Amino acid sequence: MDTLLLARLQFATTTTIHFLFVVVTLGLVTLLVGLQTAGFVTGKPVYERLTRFWGQLYVINYVLGIATGIVMEFQFGLNWSGLSRYVGNVFGAPLAIETLVAFFLESTFLGMWIFGWHRLRRGVHLALLWGVAFTAYASAFWIMVANSWLQHPVGYEVRDGIAHLTDFGALLTNPTLGFAFAHVVSASLVTGGMLMAAVSAWHLIRRTPDFALFRTSLRLGLLTAAPAVVFLVGFGFAQFGPVGRLQPTKFGGGPDRDALVAEWTARFGSGDYTPPALANVGLGFMILIGFTLFLGTLLVPLLWRDWIIRLRFPLWLILLALPLPFVAVILGWIAREVGRQPWVAYGLLPTEEAVSPVGAGVMLTSLVGFTLLLGTLAVTNCVLLARHAARGAADPALGRPPAPDTDTHPAPVFA
Amino acid sequence: MELAWYALLGLFFATYLVLGGYDYGVGLLLARGATARRTALNAVGPFFLGNEVWLVAAVGILFGAFPTLEGELLSGLYPAVMGALVGVILVTAGVQLRSRPHTARARAGWDRVIVVGSALAALGWGALLAGLLQGVPLRADGHVDGLTHLFTPFVAAAALAMLALVAAHGATFLTLRLPAEDAAPVRRLARRLVPVAVTAVGATTVVGLLSDRVRAAAQQPLAAVLLALLLVVALLAARTALARNRPGVAFAATSAALALPVALVGAALWPWALVSTAEPGAGLTVADAAASGPTLRLLGWLALPLLPALLGFQAMCWWVFRGRTDGRAPVYW
Repeated sequence: MDTLLLARLQFATTTTIHFLFVVVTLGLVTLLVGLQTAGFVTGKPVYERLTRFWGQLYVINYVLGIATGIVMEFQFGLNWSGLSRYVGNVFGAPLAIETLVAFFLESTFLGMWIFGWHRLRRGVHLALLWGVAFTAYASAFWIMVANSWLQHPVGYEVRDGIAHLTDFGALLTNPTLGFAFAHVVSASLVTGGMLMAAVSAWHLIRRTPDFALFRTSLRLGLLTAAPAVVFLVGFGFAQFGPVGRLQPTKFGGGPDRDALVAEWTARFGSGDYTPPALANVGLGFMILIGFTLFLGTLLVPLLWRDWIIRLRFPLWLILLALPLPFVAVILGWIAREVGRQPWVAYGLLPTEEAVSPVGAGVMLTSLVGFTLLLGTLAVTNCVLLARHAARGAADPALGRPPAPDTDTHPAPVFA
Repeated sequence: MELAWYALLGLFFATYLVLGGYDYGVGLLLARGATARRTALNAVGPFFLGNEVWLVAAVGILFGAFPTLEGELLSGLYPAVMGALVGVILVTAGVQLRSRPHTARARAGWDRVIVVGSALAALGWGALLAGLLQGVPLRADGHVDGLTHLFTPFVAAAALAMLALVAAHGATFLTLRLPAEDAAPVRRLARRLVPVAVTAVGATTVVGLLSDRVRAAAQQPLAAVLLALLLVVALLAARTALARNRPGVAFAATSAALALPVALVGAALWPWALVSTAEPGAGLTVADAAASGPTLRLLGWLALPLLPALLGFQAMCWWVFRGRTDGRAPVYW
C-alpha cells in the first residue's frame, strides 16, 4: 500500500465521521435556538424542558465534532504538507479565519452555556446560545469557502510554483460556494429535524410519559425538515449548472471534458484524469434518497388533529427513515470530493503531489490508530446519544438545578 | 509583519499550554483515587471547552500565516504530534462523556481514558518543543528526512519535564479553585509536585547543554539559558507561594512556567523557525516560512478587531465563573 492511498483513506475516514456529527450539530443548534427563544418569550416551562433534553443530546453529539475536527485540522499538516506548501497562502486563509472567527468563539460560548444554567441571567444565557448558533454557521461558511477553493481555485496567481493570494473577494464569490453552502445548511436542517422527529416518534410509539412534550418536538422537527428538504433538493440540482461548467470531468462525458483533459495532458503530462466511478454512484443514490425524503413532506398534512400520531404508521415511517439523511450526506460528500480527483485543488495541484513524504509504515500506523480511536469514539457516542434519547426528558443532567453532588443517580427508567 | 504573526502564534500556543496544561494536570491527578474526581473535573468545568480552542486557533494561525512551516513541522515531527493529538482527543471525549453513563464502572473507565490522554498530550507537546529545539534534518529540497531524528535523550527528558510541569500546574489550579476544605490536601500535593518539576526541568536543561545537536541548533544560547533559569525561578516562586497559602500567586507562577518553554524555543532558534541539522543553510527562517504579503495583510486586518473580542469573551468566561467552586455550582462533566 502506498502512502498516497493510505493518506486518502485516512482523510476519507476522518471526514466521514466528522461530517456525520457536524450536520447534527448545525441542525440541532438551530432548533435549540428556536426552543430556548420560545421559552424566553412565552415563559412556558415545557420549552425549558425541551431545551434541556435536546441540549443534552446536542452537547453529547458536539464531542465527536470537536474530536474529529481537531484531527482534520492537524491532518493537513501531518499528511498533506504539499497542500500547505503549494497552495497554503490561499487555502490557509479561510481555514485560519474559521478557527479564529468561528470555532474559537463557538466553543467558548458553549462552555459558558452548559455551565451557565441557573447562574447567568436568562437573557445572557439565551444570547450565548445564539452566539453558539451564529458562530456554528460562520464556521460552516468558512469551511465551505476553503472547500470551494479546492473545487475551483480562484483569486490567486502562481509564482515560482507557489500560489499567492491576489483577490480574496473572488474566494467569497466563488461560483461553487453559494449553492453548495445553502445545500449543506439545508441538509443539516433536514438531518437535525429528522433526528428530532424520529426520537419523538419513538417516545410516542412507546407511549412514554411526556406525551405533550414529544408531540411538540415531533411537530417542530417535521416542520423544520419538510421545508428544508425542498431547499435541499433545489440547491442540489442548482449546482449541476455551475459545477458541470467548472468541473467538466465530474459528471462524465462531453466535449468540454475532452478539451480540458487534452489541456491537462499538455500541461501536466498524460494520466488518468477521470474521477473514480464511486463519485457518480454516490451522486445517483443521494438523489434517490433526496426524492424519498421529498415524498416524506406528504406527512405534514397529517399533523392536523394529530393524525400522524393517531395513525401510528407515520411514526414508524419517520423512525425508519432516520438513517436516510445520514447516508445521503456521506454520499453527497463522496460525489463532491471524490468527483474532484485526481486533483486536490482542481486543475492546479494533483493529489499525489500534496501528500507528505512520510513512509507508508508511519501513514499506516496513523490510519489504523486514528480510525480505531475515532471509530470507537463514534460508536460510543452514538450509543450514549441513543441511551439519553431513550431515557426521556424527566431529568437531563444539563441544566439540572445545583444540588450537592453525590456522583450517583437513581436508576433510569429506560436503559 | 512576520515577527508580529510569529509572536501571535507563540502567544496562542503558550496560552494553550497554560490553559490546556491545567486541564491535563487535573486529568493526571484523577489517577489519585476515585473520590472527588467529579469535583475536580467540574472545577475545570466551564473553562474546558474554551481552553482547547487555543490549540485549534494556534494551528489555524500556523496554517494561515506560516503554511510552509505547518507542513514541515507537523509531518517532520509526526510521532510527537500524533501522540499529543491522540491525547487531546482522549481528554476531549473523556471529560465530556465521563459523567453521561450512570454506572460507576463506566465512569471509572472514562477516568482512565482521561488519565492516559492527559499523559499523552503532555508528553507529546514536550517532545514537540524539544524536537524543534534540537533541530530537524531538513533537506535542501525542503522536506524533513525520516523520523528517527526525534528519538534522543533530550526529547525524552523534555517530554517528562512537561509531564511534571503539567501535573504541578494542575494541582496548583485545583488549590485555587476547589472548595476551601478540599483544597488543603491538593495544596500539599502541589507542594510535593513542584520540586519534582524543578528537578525534571533542571535535568532537561543539563541533557540539553550536553547534547551536541541542541548546542548546534540554538542560535541564541544566552536567551535560552536565561529563559530556562527564569522557568526554574517561576517554579520556586510557585513553591514559596504555595507554602504561604497564596494559591493565586502560585497559579500565576506555574502558568508562567508553562508558557516559558514556548518563548524559550522561539527565542533560542531565532531567526530560524526550523533549524536544519542535515545542511546548515537548509533550515526555514521565520520570514521564509511566513505566507506571502497579501495573505498576512488580509489576516492582519481581520485579527486586529477580532483579538479584543476573542480575549473579551474568554475573560467574560473567567469572570463569570471566578472564585472557588461550591456546592451550588452547576455540575455537568
